[in-house]
Amino acid sequence: MVDTVLDPAGFARLLEITGDDLEFVDELVDTYLADAVVQLEAMREAAASGDPAAMVRPAHSLKSSSENVGATSLADACRSLELDGKAGQVPEAVDRAAACETTFKAVEAALLAERAGR
Amino acid sequence: MTGGRVLVVDDTAFNRRLLVRLLASIGHEALEAEHGRAALDLLRDPATPPVDVILLDIVMPEMDGYETLGILKADPLLSDLPVIVISGVDELDSVVRCIRMGAADYLPKTVDPEILRARIEASMAGKRLHDLERQTLEEQTRMLATIDRQRSELSRFLSPQVAALVSSPDGEAMLAGHRREITSMFCDLRNFTGFSEAAEPEEVLGFLRAYHGVMGPLIVAHEGTLEHFAGDGFMTFFNDPIAQPDHAARAVALAVAMREHFAELSADWRKRGHVLEIGIGIATGYATLGRIGFEGRYDYGAVGHGIILAARLSGEAAAGEILISSRTYAAAETAIDALPAGDRQLKGFSRPVPVYAVAGVRTTEVA
Repeated sequence: MVDTVLDPAGFARLLEITGDDLEFVDELVDTYLADAVVQLEAMREAAASGDPAAMVRPAHSLKSSSENVGATSLADACRSLELDGKAGQVPEAVDRAAACETTFKAVEAALLAERAGR
Repeated sequence: MTGGRVLVVDDTAFNRRLLVRLLASIGHEALEAEHGRAALDLLRDPATPPVDVILLDIVMPEMDGYETLGILKADPLLSDLPVIVISGVDELDSVVRCIRMGAADYLPKTVDPEILRARIEASMAGKRLHDLERQTLEEQTRMLATIDRQRSELSRFLSPQVAALVSSPDGEAMLAGHRREITSMFCDLRNFTGFSEAAEPEEVLGFLRAYHGVMGPLIVAHEGTLEHFAGDGFMTFFNDPIAQPDHAARAVALAVAMREHFAELSADWRKRGHVLEIGIGIATGYATLGRIGFEGRYDYGAVGHGIILAARLSGEAAAGEILISSRTYAAAETAIDALPAGDRQLKGFSRPVPVYAVAGVRTTEVA
């Protein structure tokens, strides 16, 4: 079964396009983690205040960067939130935003484990 | 292709870093902006080096990609910059919208270095072609302006006809030398030497300025080619470089106009105690015309028997008299009123020369 928290193929691709520069990959991953915290915060606020439009931008942003590190599940969850936000109604927004945070914790752990395991 | 400068506009630091890195790896320098407004500020900052391509994210805070693209395309200074929109695969509808707004291309969000390279290079090639086109156009415009300026500067130093000749396609052949029948006119002042000795230098210069100010426009109005003027004398000729079939009559008409205008001028000076009179000589004959002089100082000049005759007639003319040669008289006979003024013995001429004195012109062909 493919690991969708951190898809090895997705992460390998990141290594490939950076020319296997692990130092730079670490820098990118740190940037990703820092960005993600800000976007998850914004998504949580959008969900709490019931503002679908405010959900679009952070979900969109986290979606694209998650795709690039291979965090497939998180990217999919964000895409779904983004599309619902664009449509003007985000069902179960609070729960789904919280689920994204949980998934992100797993992604973060996997990324840090990858780094520790080299 | 050599590297260009790419502006990456994306609110996500992760995406910006990745793109900047990839751009560097394929030889392009990158600038970064975190949203549209920052990008526009950067592009409009005179300190920013010229950008070749913009990579533009669509969903951004402050100013999104659509608004940014709209402003870029409406700004004459920025509208030529190719914009590549960064878009996710699930956002093709926004790509279509951006391309309709003038975006050059789009780039998938999941970046592929080869696609990035190909799209950037294609956009840069397009822009370079466009820049080259614009540069050529600007150069042409500048060159035409220079030619125009030279022509107008030249026309301040040369007669308008000669200035036009210098910048005309067959100018070189004309300047090199040719023969043509012309009517030349010499005009100078009686007792100018006495006047310039008696009057104050400022007065002499003031008079010359007024005299040139009256005579110059008359020569231009009659389309005479002013060969030279020196102090109180003018040498003007007709029928070259522009052909004038009525050249003899034109020369006489100019002389009559000069005499009339000079009368007003001299009346004014008479009040100040100075008696100045004009004498004019006109002759028609073949001459060699072209560039005469030496490197550093050339004139468009004329050499010929008729010219010498005109000079002698001008010297021979009494105050207010216009003396013309028989050949000029024959050519202008129907247009002028002139009376025989005897056969004159002139310096350099072996036999006495028949001379006519002009009373006036019958028809004013030239105003």
